[in-house]
Amino acid sequence: MQPKITAVARCADGDVGNISRIIVDPLSREISHVIVRERGGGVERQVPIGQVEAVPHEEEVRLRGSAEEFRRWPVLERHAYVTIDEVEIAHLEDHLCVEPGEILVPYPRLEQAVPRRRFFTNMTHAIGALMALPLAFPVVKYLMQPMYRPYDNTWFPVGNVRKVRKDNIGYQFKYTRGFKEAFMPEQRIEKNIWVVKATPAVRKAVYGGKDKTFHDDKGRVVWVNKANAPHIGFSGKCPHLGCGYKWRRTKNYPDGVFLCPCHLSIYDAAGKVLDGPAPRPLDVLPMQVSASGDVKIIDVEYKAGVKNQIRLL
Amino acid sequence: MNDSPRTPNKPSALEKVVAFVDERVGLKTIQAKMLNEPVPGGSRWAYAFGSCLLFIFILQVVTGILLMFYYVPSIDHAYASTQYIIHEVDYGWFLLSYHFWGSSAMVVMVFAHMSQVFLWGAYKKPRELVWLVGLALFGLVMAFGFTGYLLPWDQRAYWATVVGVEIMDKTPVIGDALARFLKGGPTPGQMTLSRFFVIHVMVLPAALMGLAGLHIFLFRKAGPAGPFRGTPEQLKAKTDYFFPRQVWKDIVAMASVFMIICSLALIEPVVLLEEATPDPGDYHPEPEWYFLFLFQMLRLKMFSGEFGQFLGAIAIPGAFLAFLAALPFVDRRPERDIFKRPAALIGWIVIMAGILLFTVSAILNREFLD
Repeated sequence: MQPKITAVARCADGDVGNISRIIVDPLSREISHVIVRERGGGVERQVPIGQVEAVPHEEEVRLRGSAEEFRRWPVLERHAYVTIDEVEIAHLEDHLCVEPGEILVPYPRLEQAVPRRRFFTNMTHAIGALMALPLAFPVVKYLMQPMYRPYDNTWFPVGNVRKVRKDNIGYQFKYTRGFKEAFMPEQRIEKNIWVVKATPAVRKAVYGGKDKTFHDDKGRVVWVNKANAPHIGFSGKCPHLGCGYKWRRTKNYPDGVFLCPCHLSIYDAAGKVLDGPAPRPLDVLPMQVSASGDVKIIDVEYKAGVKNQIRLL
Repeated sequence: MNDSPRTPNKPSALEKVVAFVDERVGLKTIQAKMLNEPVPGGSRWAYAFGSCLLFIFILQVVTGILLMFYYVPSIDHAYASTQYIIHEVDYGWFLLSYHFWGSSAMVVMVFAHMSQVFLWGAYKKPRELVWLVGLALFGLVMAFGFTGYLLPWDQRAYWATVVGVEIMDKTPVIGDALARFLKGGPTPGQMTLSRFFVIHVMVLPAALMGLAGLHIFLFRKAGPAGPFRGTPEQLKAKTDYFFPRQVWKDIVAMASVFMIICSLALIEPVVLLEEATPDPGDYHPEPEWYFLFLFQMLRLKMFSGEFGQFLGAIAIPGAFLAFLAALPFVDRRPERDIFKRPAALIGWIVIMAGILLFTVSAILNREFLD
């Protein structure tokens, strides 16, 4: 039985007052006390819920003990409490049902025709979709504009092989190239490659005895690196995750290796992975060396972190 | 209202997910509170303006964000990057033109929305705060139009800003500081563009989102005003919920607005003039059409001289806005029927006719200049 707040509180030897409030424990969200206002506008006493013996009907709450014992319960200190309108207690309503019942408002007559309601709902969704769909394609195309561009097969001069004196050692060649992007004026950007004057054994390790061909985006051959050419150019971009690597002599590799400082990928003079996380050898660039030793390359860039070479630029 | 024939004892995976979230968030209660708002006297097409404004604003945000993918707010790249959007990027011309026409639609819709609220007497007690916040939103919409206009950095953009800032400069006491604040210096340049950009893409959207949220909250708190005629019984008989009939009317109105903006963007796409420079050349500076009436007003003899200028550019528009703000506190009669409020009706007609008259005469004046 659900008692009303206002119900009469009755002890074994007679009525002592009316329920005026209840106190709820904010953690257990259960009623902890009932507050009983004494007859004739007297004080409000705070009675633990355990003292409630029975609720015979919604107008009456029966308390344990006598009226004399009831008057020993403490007086409510109102200032020590807040109402549930002043504080947010999660899921309080799910736990407690202190109203006399549900408070109802009439459901408008126009809303009771269910098929119409469904029809309106579906048509609303249909119109929403009709507006969203034609926008989706232009927006995707708009955002895709700069994502794909044809490969740049321009030759860039990077230096002269005169500076490569020793075999099987990496020499860095720095160069600047023009780069035109969207509406920006052409920028000069600095890049670098590594050139190795390779002994036949290293050449064999790089090319496997076969010439290496480079293609444009339509699959046409752009350039062929001869397998017996002594100079080999490696892209300056580490094929692991795209950092810049260096030529270093270390305790373990006194002859020198290519070492990437980011994730410690180590490559030999042929670009083969000796140690570290790199998934493929260093990328060989299309390179030509003139009779006077001038070096030109195509600034090919491959995607890092994958086993096969996937050309980006 | 679930009338599907599905057997209730076997919930689908989606229903389980919905139930899981609902148990923790109370989604269904929120949804019911949002959609089941009774509309006194039933749904009407006249109530669609507010929803349309929200819709236009959301698409302005979407298209605005998309434009920022390519736009660069610097005086040596703003023009080039806008031209790049128009001429190079796929559908860039469309998104920019949509954003441009969307701003005009926003202004038109604000006027329609304010007129509806005014004519319906919906600004009266207890909706004074809804009206006041609405006026602030009106100011934000105009500020959006003004700041966004500069960003393409062509001659039109530059000169509208030069004149607009000169007008603000005439505000008493704070005018000079306000103009310098907006220009970021004594004359327009990179600092002006940077400031207008950040105001347009950060400050105003944040302010508008906050105030629009407050506007809708206050509106829901006060409840819809409903029609200005009819007995309580008549209204009750016609009452329905916001969802689905009003939502349906709203979305049809939104779709119409969407199609009109798309058509304008297709028929009249944005074309830039020459890049901005402090030499106007053959260009006759003119603001966007919704500021034309004010622009034309300042050509009148009575607004010449320093005092006249102050009167036309600052005092009269300022007094008008102050009057609008004071309106719900001055006009305290509960009567909402516009046909029983002759002063309000005549006032509205005079203002609208005045704006129309000045706008048309500004357009006619163009011929004398060419």
